[in-house]
Amino acid sequence: MVWGTIIAAYLFLAGLSAGAFLTSSYAARRYPEAKTVRFVGRLISPILMGIGLLLLIVDAEAGLKDPLRFIYLFTNFSSVMTIGTYFISFFMMAAAYIALMELLKKDTSKIVEYVGIIFAVATAIYTGFLIGVIGAVPLWNTAILPILFVVSAFSTGIAGTMLVSAIMDKKVVHMVMSIKKIHLTLLVAEVLLIFTMFLITSSTNESAAQSVSMILSGEYSILFWLGLVVVGLIVPIAIEALELWNSKKLHHTPAGLEVAASGSHGIAATMITESAVLAGGFILRYLLLAAAVPVIFL
Amino acid sequence: MARYGMVIDTRKCVGCYACRVSCQMQNELPVEESYIKFYEKETGVFPNVKNEIIPVQCQHCEDAPCVSVCPTKATYTTKEGIVLVDADKCIGCKYCMVACHYGARTQDHNTGVVEKCRFCAELVAEGKQPACVSTCISNARIFGDLDDPNSEVSKAIVKMNAQPLRPDLGKAKIYYVR
Ligand code: SF4
Ligand code: SF4
Repeated sequence: MVWGTIIAAYLFLAGLSAGAFLTSSYAARRYPEAKTVRFVGRLISPILMGIGLLLLIVDAEAGLKDPLRFIYLFTNFSSVMTIGTYFISFFMMAAAYIALMELLKKDTSKIVEYVGIIFAVATAIYTGFLIGVIGAVPLWNTAILPILFVVSAFSTGIAGTMLVSAIMDKKVVHMVMSIKKIHLTLLVAEVLLIFTMFLITSSTNESAAQSVSMILSGEYSILFWLGLVVVGLIVPIAIEALELWNSKKLHHTPAGLEVAASGSHGIAATMITESAVLAGGFILRYLLLAAAVPVIFL
Repeated sequence: MARYGMVIDTRKCVGCYACRVSCQMQNELPVEESYIKFYEKETGVFPNVKNEIIPVQCQHCEDAPCVSVCPTKATYTTKEGIVLVDADKCIGCKYCMVACHYGARTQDHNTGVVEKCRFCAELVAEGKQPACVSTCISNARIFGDLDDPNSEVSKAIVKMNAQPLRPDLGKAKIYYVR
C-alpha cells in the first residue's frame, strides 16, 4: 500500500468534516429550534478537517521535515491535489469563521455560510477525484467513485453530528426526523453505488476484477461483508427505518408524543447507528486503498 | 533539441543486475533501494516456453502522469524529455507513486523525497552514457536521441521493431525488444 491507513483516515475525516458542515447548515435552516445539531455540526467540522490535515502532513515525510515546502502545494493546477488544497483552504476558512461566530453566539454571515456550503461539497467531491483520476489503479478510475464519496461524506457527516448531538442532548434526535430520512436514503444509495461500481469495474478490467475479488471473497472479505456491509450499512439502515416507523407511530398518540419529547426513547439506537455509520465510512476508504491493484504492465 | 530514449533488448539481458548496481552507485542508493526492478515472465505453453527477464525503470513518459499529478511541480520534464524530481520541492505526498503505471518510483525514507531513474541526466549533459548503459555486460541497452533518425537508438528501434511496454498506457521513451 503506497497510500495506507493514514490517507484512508484523512479521506474519511475530510468527507466527515464536509458532511458535518452541510448537516449543520441544513439543520440551521430547517430546524432553528434544534440548536444542538447546528452547534455541534459547526464546531466539529473545522476540528475534524484540521485533524485530517495534520495526518496528511505526517504522511508527507519530505514536507514534514521541511514544512515551508507545503507552499508549493498551491502551484500545479493540473493536479487534483493542488485543486483540492484550494478547496480545503476556502472551506476551512469559512468553517472556522462560522464555528467562531457560533462560539461567540454572534450571527453568521450568510455569504460566508454559502461559500462554506459550496466548498464543503467541493471538498467531498475532490476526495473522490483525488484517487478517481489515477488511471494506474482501475478500481478507483471510475466515474461512480466521486459520487460514492460524496454520498458517504454526507452520510458520515450526519452520523458524526447526530452522535455528538445525542450525547449532549438526547431529546434533539426526535426534532430532526427529516435528517434521519435523508440519512436512510443516503445509506441505501451507498449500497447501490458500491455494488454498481464493483460490477462495472470488474467486468471491464482485469486489475479491477482482481481488486473486487480481494474485497468480495479474498483477504478483505470479512472486513467488507461484516464491517462495511453488515455493521456500516445494513444495521444502520434497519435501525433507522425502524426508528422512522416508530416515530410515526409515537406521534399519533399523546402518550407517544410525550415519550418522544422526553427523549427516553431510542437514544441507544441513535448511538449505535451513528457509530456504525462512522465505522463503515472509514472501512470503505480503507478497503479502496488496501485493494488497489495497479495495472498489470507486462 | 535531443529527445532522449533507450532500447532494452530483453533477449540479450541475462539478469546479472550489473545495471542495477551501477545505478545504485551513481545515485548513491543504499542496497535495499533501487531504480531498476527486474521482472520475470513466462510465455507460451509447455514445452514451448520462453522465459523473459525484463528490467523496468522509469519509462520517461511523454505526458507523464507523475508530472501532471505532482501538486508541487517537484516532478517535471526537461527540454530533452527526461523526467526529473526537484528534491527541494518534493513534499513526499506519494501521489506520483500512486499515479505511475510502472511502479517505477521509490521513496527515500531518510529525506522523504520520492525518486526514480533520471537517465543519469548529469552524465548525459557531459555527453556520456547513463550508468546502466555503459555497464551492461551484454550490450542489451542502447541510449540516445530518439529524434535523430541516424542515432544508434533510433536505428535499433526500427531494425528490431522495439516497442514500449504498454503503448496503450501512453507514450514511453524506453523501447523493449522481446
Ligand atoms: S514511468 Fe512512472 S515515474 Fe517515469 S515518467 Fe512515467 S509515470 Fe513518471
Ligand atoms: S511525492 Fe514529491 S514528486 Fe511525488 S507527487 Fe508528491 S511532491 Fe511530487
